Amino acid sequence: MEESEDVPKDFIKLKSEKLSVDDVSELVVSPYCGAVSLFIGTTRNNFEGKKVIHLEYEAYTSMAETEIKKICRDVRQKWPSVKHIAVHHRLGVVPITEASVIIAVSSPHRAESLEAVMYCINTLKASVPIWKKEIYEDEYSWKENKECFWANSEK
Amino acid sequence: QVSVLYFARSAELAGLRCETLSVPREITSLKLWEEIVKAHPRLAVIQDQVVLAVRQEYVLLGDQLLVLQPGDEVAIIPPISGG
Repeated sequence: MEESEDVPKDFIKLKSEKLSVDDVSELVVSPYCGAVSLFIGTTRNNFEGKKVIHLEYEAYTSMAETEIKKICRDVRQKWPSVKHIAVHHRLGVVPITEASVIIAVSSPHRAESLEAVMYCINTLKASVPIWKKEIYEDEYSWKENKECFWANSEK
Repeated sequence: QVSVLYFARSAELAGLRCETLSVPREITSLKLWEEIVKAHPRLAVIQDQVVLAVRQEYVLLGDQLLVLQPGDEVAIIPPISGG
């Protein structure tokens, strides 16, 4: 048995190319794990009756990667049996139905990876410096996650 | 002298993404914000919805005293919307 199989790894990537569910799953698969849980965030085509043409994402890249690393560290503290974690987020233009974010977590049994994936996406939305602009037909709007504690939630 | 980085709506309001700014070495986060608004008055509209990131740690606008080193990164962080 190779020692490298035992070492839990975090795979964090921010990129402008199309994300691949196959690639992200393969990163976390492990012979020691019976479960791989996945979350895929995709682009909806409407918001409050307006047609969304596409999304555009930008990031404070260096800090975003650091914040995602912190999330991975927290996941491992809360669910020590988690093996590998992958968080891929797309930047730039994301067309409708394509993925903006894919999170994959592997663990020996399913409960931990399912809970860890949910924790990852919820915490990402609250703490990672990435911004989304929704482009409509006539205008655009910078979105604000309700998880973001410094946003004004007027809605 | 610190590097100020602008993102999302703040980059649109300031009209740029990055610049160097001369500020006192010790300064409260609110005063630092006020210096930035002096340079770019259009930023005032987002004052209630913005935090700073100093050396990649979030800082609320307020009395917190920052000790800045030359070349430190200060980022303007409007409400985030990742994921």
